[in-house]
Amino acid sequence: MVVFALAVVGLLPLLAMLYKSVFADGRWTLSVYEHVFSNPAQYWPPVRNSLTLAALTAVCALLLGVPLGLLLAKTDVPLRRPLMVTLCAPLLLPPYILAICWFNLMSRSAWWGTDNLSQSGLAPSIWLFGLPGCLLVLAGALTPAVIILTVVYLHAVNPRHEEAGRLVTGWRGVLTKITLPIISRGILFAGLLVFLLALGEVGVPMFLRYPVFPVETLTQFSAFYDFGAAAAAATPLLGVTLLLLVGERLYLRDKTYELLATAPGRKILVIPLGRWRVPAALAAILFAVITVVLPLVSLVVSSLSPFAYAEALNKAAGSIGRSILFAGVGATVLTLLGFLSGYLIQYRALAVWRVVDTLTLLLFTLPGTVIGIALIALWNRPGIGWIYASTAMVIFAYVAQYTALASRITVASLGNVPRSLEEAAQMAGAPWHARVLHIIVPAALPGVIAAWMVGFIFCMRDLGASMVVYPAGQETLPVRIFTLMANGAPSLVSALCVVLVVVTVIALGAFRMLLQSAGHRR
Amino acid sequence: MMAVELQSVSKAYDGRRVIEALSLTVTRGERLVLVGPSGCGKTTMLRLVAGLELPDSGAIAINGRIVAQHRRNLVPPENRHLGMVFQDLVLWPHMTVSEHLEFALRYDRQLKPVERPARMREILDMVRMADCAEARPATLSGGQQQRVALARAVVAHPEIVLMDEPLSSLDPELRAYLCREILRLQAELGFTLIYVTHSRDEANLIGHRSIVMQPA
Repeated sequence: MVVFALAVVGLLPLLAMLYKSVFADGRWTLSVYEHVFSNPAQYWPPVRNSLTLAALTAVCALLLGVPLGLLLAKTDVPLRRPLMVTLCAPLLLPPYILAICWFNLMSRSAWWGTDNLSQSGLAPSIWLFGLPGCLLVLAGALTPAVIILTVVYLHAVNPRHEEAGRLVTGWRGVLTKITLPIISRGILFAGLLVFLLALGEVGVPMFLRYPVFPVETLTQFSAFYDFGAAAAAATPLLGVTLLLLVGERLYLRDKTYELLATAPGRKILVIPLGRWRVPAALAAILFAVITVVLPLVSLVVSSLSPFAYAEALNKAAGSIGRSILFAGVGATVLTLLGFLSGYLIQYRALAVWRVVDTLTLLLFTLPGTVIGIALIALWNRPGIGWIYASTAMVIFAYVAQYTALASRITVASLGNVPRSLEEAAQMAGAPWHARVLHIIVPAALPGVIAAWMVGFIFCMRDLGASMVVYPAGQETLPVRIFTLMANGAPSLVSALCVVLVVVTVIALGAFRMLLQSAGHRR
Repeated sequence: MMAVELQSVSKAYDGRRVIEALSLTVTRGERLVLVGPSGCGKTTMLRLVAGLELPDSGAIAINGRIVAQHRRNLVPPENRHLGMVFQDLVLWPHMTVSEHLEFALRYDRQLKPVERPARMREILDMVRMADCAEARPATLSGGQQQRVALARAVVAHPEIVLMDEPLSSLDPELRAYLCREILRLQAELGFTLIYVTHSRDEANLIGHRSIVMQPA
């Protein structure tokens, strides 16, 4: 079932896209590639811009995220939990909303007034449009991924390794010679993930008018309706992603040192900061205020016009409802598929587990626009056009892009469930489905709920793939906001962004309540 | 002269007393074995001496100097000049055998940097691991890993070595062989040994003196 689903929404669409790009009128041809790439002056600048932006974003996210992860996970700095929640909040939002936040904060009409700066030629919005602005927004949006992965990997380090080091040297030596080298491959993976996500980003470079390659792909598709050219333009992105993931797999194979899942009952060793506790906390708070709180406050402030919210509901009520519905259905399908593929990966239940793992990760790191174009390549054909014209395409896109998240969460969750639980049920004669339903799922319930919630959040914020595949008149809220950004009033756009944030936060609250009730039952 | 002295030391985890007013002395060069059932506080006692845990009350002295007292570490673990073999060995997965020893030697102030390679070779020869110096832990057998953990614990001239059931996961033959190796190393290097085990046989073989601990 997992393999079939991933084939239908992921592998076959990619193959269909490649096929369509090299076959025209029933014969092999590279004409669309020649057409797209025949003009290096037009082709190379977006490629160079994409690679520059992705590399700088990865470097910035690592330089900020790893120390913050260390601070929050390994030290006794005060306010760790609120700081973690605040610093990771940008991950809940589509990155282009952060771009709007920064634009509101830095524009001439900003509530704190940059007119004086503008008159003196120092208007911050001037440099916001271009590479610095894209870097600022994407580093802010993706640093939380590095923070979270660093914290997760630090929790998976065997504290005995650090204690053995503590008998020889102080914490600085232990961190630099033992802890960080042990998690170095995890950090490398985090950097790679940020690089690929930044490489495929469409919304931020479009808003901040920085020409990158994914925008070029989308333009070929949406502006010129040239599917072959769009597929040809998408192929290099597929190639780069595939190449990096294969490289990562080869390099990291057998080198992940006990970091695949956390062991139950392991307690992380905490570094006492002593007199540095308060200064470290103040520095982290200052960073959180500048990079997260201020931009979000500016968003709220700019939405506070008399009729903005009424107009927002008037113009986008349908999109709000659709987003919640699509995200709910998408998250449910993702949880089911993610659980099954996570089970497959964790227990190596079938020989194809590695293929499933790699394919889900490849689809997650591919630009959403490429996934959208690939889905259209497979499903837009006579006989099955009714599927292409339906909202199922949006769900397919969600499943293709985000199954990796649900499966990784399941893998981590199953890592804490002793295999002997299932084996005991097996010895009692329970068939596989009964063992999964009555033993494994209840034991891994918090992970299942977390997978649903993370799936919901990512479906809610999806822009790249849904922008390409949504059926006419069925756009989601992020797509609606994105289209309104071109000609809608800033207060209306801000109000819709706030609505998206509020819906996401309400969903998070529901997640917390569900987790708590699951915890009580256990 | 006392190598280690515990004065009325108590320790509890989450309100559960593990060690209650334990007083104990270990003389220099002695091989003391702690025997007892699971949960009686043997490992906790070693971790208190190592400085990896703080005593709730009482005091711990090493070579006549108070190193921990009433929830305070007066001397951090790295400055107590101890070696320790952990129950699960905890070899660092990213380091080769020689890198394990280099790491331990780097912070040995008694040794000049130029003397480190010779010391490393000496210890590798002593534990018969010279051929595996560039191997990583994952490629070594259980007995070899055990010897690397021993080498790491003794390479930096510790005066006291703590061993927490170091042989528990090995088969009886290898265990008997490594017991003899530990005795040989202790005789050659002269360190004070505090050794924790479940096995009375191991206790009889290793210890000058054995203490049977009971749950608090």
